[in-house]
Amino acid sequence: MPVKLILRTNEYEVKAGMALLDALKKCNIIPESVIATREGELITEDEILKDGEVIKLVAVISGG
Amino acid sequence: MKCKKCGGKASVNMRQHRMALCKEHFIEWIPEQTERFIKKYNMFTREEKVLVAVSGGKDSLALWDILTRLGYKADGLYLGLGIDGGVNYSDESHRLTAEFAEKNGLTLHTVNIEKEYGYSIPVLSDISYRGHGKPCSVCGLAKRHEMNRIARDLGYDVLATGHNLDDEAAVLFGNTLQWSSDYLLRQRPVLPEKDGLARKVKPLCRFYEREMTAYSIARGIEYIYDECPFADGATQVFYKETLNQLENTRPGIKLTFYLRFLDARQSGNLFIEKDAVQAHIHPCAKCGQPTSAPDLCSFCRMIEKANTTTG
Repeated sequence: MPVKLILRTNEYEVKAGMALLDALKKCNIIPESVIATREGELITEDEILKDGEVIKLVAVISGG
Repeated sequence: MKCKKCGGKASVNMRQHRMALCKEHFIEWIPEQTERFIKKYNMFTREEKVLVAVSGGKDSLALWDILTRLGYKADGLYLGLGIDGGVNYSDESHRLTAEFAEKNGLTLHTVNIEKEYGYSIPVLSDISYRGHGKPCSVCGLAKRHEMNRIARDLGYDVLATGHNLDDEAAVLFGNTLQWSSDYLLRQRPVLPEKDGLARKVKPLCRFYEREMTAYSIARGIEYIYDECPFADGATQVFYKETLNQLENTRPGIKLTFYLRFLDARQSGNLFIEKDAVQAHIHPCAKCGQPTSAPDLCSFCRMIEKANTTTG
């Protein structure tokens, strides 16, 4: 099963077994612009993504 | 990736410091560093009363949390701006701020701009024609005016805002692109108290926005995640995205950009300051706050214009 990445209202699917950093690059997401969480816990970009899991990406930029 | 302090599993990687930390050490490291910055820039002491400008966003709530954990006397100020944007933006941000204050037993002052002056920020923006169709400049003006007024009226020694390094770097980037020397010379972590202006400090100015997001999540701080409805397409957001692209390939470039600027500014080598007499600052004829305008300050002129327009 693919891994689902969710960023605000956008959803992306990547293959399990990839490192988070590679997954972000594949989805054209700048790693510096998000914080990733797995079941509410912070994870680093070297984390290997597991089959079928959902990774929530929290956008870090605020402003106006 | 392992925590630099305990060797356990890391939760946050800070490439600009070549350091990763586990959750427990990260939420200890942030206040330690904040304390270091407060002392380094002589922001305030434990005896002084601090008013934290809280918006319900991650940075200001994190700042309030950090200062409280460090044992500073820090109360909050929330300004109700009357922004809805289809998501109840102001109401929701007030709810989150009030809940944070209650949960932590903190004092929160709330001022509603519409109740105080008769107009919400979007309405005031429409009436005053400031900001080219976007209320951001009216919002900034009203916030600066009210934060200063309330800090002084309530006897606070210092006003603290949650500006992070990305905020500062984005402003610096914009002012550098335009070589706005006046603005560049004004940008610093501490604006001293003078001529009726409260001292303003930015204790988070050396933390990346990403770190403040991680801190808020790690501490379980519930903050308003939706952007301000008017932030879409804002220049500052564009500058932040641009700087993040640079950071992605050159870790630490944002930090270096800001810190080298502060060094250059401090050394006096950045620009030669004019010897010209500073603009005369005097109290506004209406509100009494300092202004360089001939009679009324910009804020009171805007309100007067709004009152005239609406009859």
